[in-house]
Amino acid sequence: MSIIKTVDVKKWFGDFQALKGISMEVAEGEVLVICGPSGSGKSTFIRCINRLEQHQEGEIVVDGIELTNDLKNIEAIRSEVGMVFQSFNLFPHLTVMQNITLAPIWVRKKSRSESEEKAMELLERVGIPEQAQKFPGQLSGGQQQRVAIARALAMEPKIMLFDEPTSALDPEMIKEVLDAMKELAESGMTMIVVTHEMGFAKEVADRVMLFDEGLMVEENTPNEFFDNPKNDRTKLFLSQIL
Amino acid sequence: MIRDSKFFIENPYGRWVRDNLFSSSSSAFLTFFAGFMVIYSYRGIVGFILNPERMWTSVTYNMKLYMILAYPDEAMIRVWLSVGLALILGGLSIGFYNSGKTISLGGIFQKLFTISAVIAILIALAPTNTNVIQNDGSIEVVEIIPQDVRMLILGPSLVLTLAFFFLRNVKIKNLFNTAKVNLTYFGLIIASLYFIKIPTISLDSSGERIIPDPFLPIASTTYIPWTILYVGMLLFFFIGSLLKNRDIKIMARLIPISWFLCPLFIFSWIFKKPLVELNTVFSADIPSILVFGIIGFLIIRFSDNESVGVYRTPINIGFLILSVVVFLLPLVFIFKATMVLLLLLLVVSPAIATTKEGKRQLFIVWVVSLFVLTFLIRGASSDTMLVTPTGSIFGGFSLTWLLAIFGTYASFPLGLALALGRTSTLPVIRIICTGIIEIVRSVPYITWLFFASVMLTVFLPAGVEFNLIIRVLILTAFFSGAYFAEYIRGGLQSIPKGQYEAANAIGMNPFQRIFLVIVPQALRTIIPTLVGSVITSFKDSSLVAIIGLFDILRIGTSVIPAQSQPVVFIGRNLEQLVFLSFFFWVFTFVFSRRSMKFEKRLGLGER
Repeated sequence: MSIIKTVDVKKWFGDFQALKGISMEVAEGEVLVICGPSGSGKSTFIRCINRLEQHQEGEIVVDGIELTNDLKNIEAIRSEVGMVFQSFNLFPHLTVMQNITLAPIWVRKKSRSESEEKAMELLERVGIPEQAQKFPGQLSGGQQQRVAIARALAMEPKIMLFDEPTSALDPEMIKEVLDAMKELAESGMTMIVVTHEMGFAKEVADRVMLFDEGLMVEENTPNEFFDNPKNDRTKLFLSQIL
Repeated sequence: MIRDSKFFIENPYGRWVRDNLFSSSSSAFLTFFAGFMVIYSYRGIVGFILNPERMWTSVTYNMKLYMILAYPDEAMIRVWLSVGLALILGGLSIGFYNSGKTISLGGIFQKLFTISAVIAILIALAPTNTNVIQNDGSIEVVEIIPQDVRMLILGPSLVLTLAFFFLRNVKIKNLFNTAKVNLTYFGLIIASLYFIKIPTISLDSSGERIIPDPFLPIASTTYIPWTILYVGMLLFFFIGSLLKNRDIKIMARLIPISWFLCPLFIFSWIFKKPLVELNTVFSADIPSILVFGIIGFLIIRFSDNESVGVYRTPINIGFLILSVVVFLLPLVFIFKATMVLLLLLLVVSPAIATTKEGKRQLFIVWVVSLFVLTFLIRGASSDTMLVTPTGSIFGGFSLTWLLAIFGTYASFPLGLALALGRTSTLPVIRIICTGIIEIVRSVPYITWLFFASVMLTVFLPAGVEFNLIIRVLILTAFFSGAYFAEYIRGGLQSIPKGQYEAANAIGMNPFQRIFLVIVPQALRTIIPTLVGSVITSFKDSSLVAIIGLFDILRIGTSVIPAQSQPVVFIGRNLEQLVFLSFFFWVFTFVFSRRSMKFEKRLGLGER
């Protein structure tokens, strides 16, 4: 049963075609890693999945709902799909606790006490329960990114999208974020991860994709992808990155 | 070189002087030049103030005129109640928010040292003589500070300076609460009203001026109300601390709301003394509360009902049309005003009334705000019972306050709405808002004031007439609203795109995104600008003098210099202008200081 299905998705920024027809499926509980050189359209693609970008041609179906211009559909899908950004994008005027409970209270209409309880659970899960009353500006990058993960999880999403979650972090903070993501993958969450962390891909991913110039050039299991790539572009990419 | 002498290297004070005042020959020049300029202008100002030509009694004698113009004497208690309400609220807030900041005895002495040192320096530098221009154009030199007076002040202040200089290093563990120390200072100022005496114009029983002017305490007629108010403030300070210790959380919301409502209440009821007729209360106010209370209850009750939810859009549009109709029909004003509040309830209730607890709280808030709104509008729309020769109970400083406070109150929401409208994606709204902002901003304020006084009546439909103060208020709201809008738009544009995306990604609707994520951050970044513009509108309110309103500036420049009864003050312009500059400076200075603290407190959430 596929929870995300895209058919021939195309997207232009002005004259520049960022996506040149992407067709793929993601099964429930699957962890998919997308890698590729910068400008290859991988971020654009996952941003299309919760419609932070609009695709112009093709079809995207998330959890049985097709993405169209209907606002109700978009909001319904966004509350099912959590997203973690490269630059964290926490709300700087709210405390960590308020950041996490904002959406459950206002979007999911839960009571404050219930949301706060849930938020503490999530903070414990990502390992920073003691930071609940601080403001994002007082935390390190790795801690901020873990708060962002907790914030996305607070909506109890079925799918989590990660847009280069570790690219803006110092090397020693990358591990703490990846550990949180690994733990999440083991719990059975459906995840699409855009990343350059090949170690994470090898260890956690069920499938790995390579994007290049708006096209998906290779799709494979991690073992095959790293040890026995089919495509020459993949070989070139791996030789540069590893 | 002197600069390299032992004193300037080893002594910390000498070192500071060397590094900060004389670090190079050009900076030494600048230090001397600036120092000369400061001392020169200080001596000039003191000479001007103490010149025997000045008649400062023209300011002190007219203080009541300045503050309230021709407010009737028998209703004076209402003025004191207004001031008292603000002071009491101030005491309560200081007591409640008093963050437990403490100051050591050494710290107090340090401050007293600074004060007494400044007094000593000022008195030492003050000029002995000043020039008086005679009628025939010759200049006479007059002694204004005799040597014995100078010594009488300089001696004790030097002794105190030295004493505090050594005392500030005393190591005493005792800490004092900063708020209590500040209240004590305030008490000392009140006490000085009793003890410090100045020459005062006074009239004997037959109405003749007593010459020479007897020395009476400052505020010889008002120290009793001031003392009572001070005691009230102290009392509420302790009540505030008590509430804080009992940890009564509701106060944290109640106090800001009270501050918001306080001026409205003062201007519509306390200061105004409205003539309230019982039959209008029964025929308009109570039915309005009942009707809107029931409608509000129904809205809250069914806001999350599935079967009603389907019809939400038609219901909202229906209410919008209904409110326009109510606005155009010749109904009592209270219905029209409450209708706006009802629209607000309609917007927020689906977001808040989702649980049983939420519904209960929203209903309580609804009923309370219905009562408060009806109460305030009843006061504001009724005629006043007070009779004044000028025809308006507002004049002088009370008019300045009225314009400043209501200008801000009305222009802030208007500015926010215009800013959001201008950044909206809907072209019609965007064009209308941009048009309003650009038209209003491109015409000078004074032109708009003339528009308000002369032309606005031509544009209003027949039968609708506002008094001049209200017309000015409407235009001021638009004028500062347009400026606010541009500042707020700047704030909105400074919010990174990622914040919008993050809000979208967690499924917020546009309304939640704007008011929970974007606007709070945007306002935070522009607080300094907003404070600046509130101060500007406070000062600009004196421009209404041009169109014939008696604000504090007009009283100072055209009323007092024309007085000949019972004392001749004809031509006393200079004293008034000096007093007014000082008066405006005190208020704007205090205001910008407070806002700096406010900024720091909010700055906690900054990246």
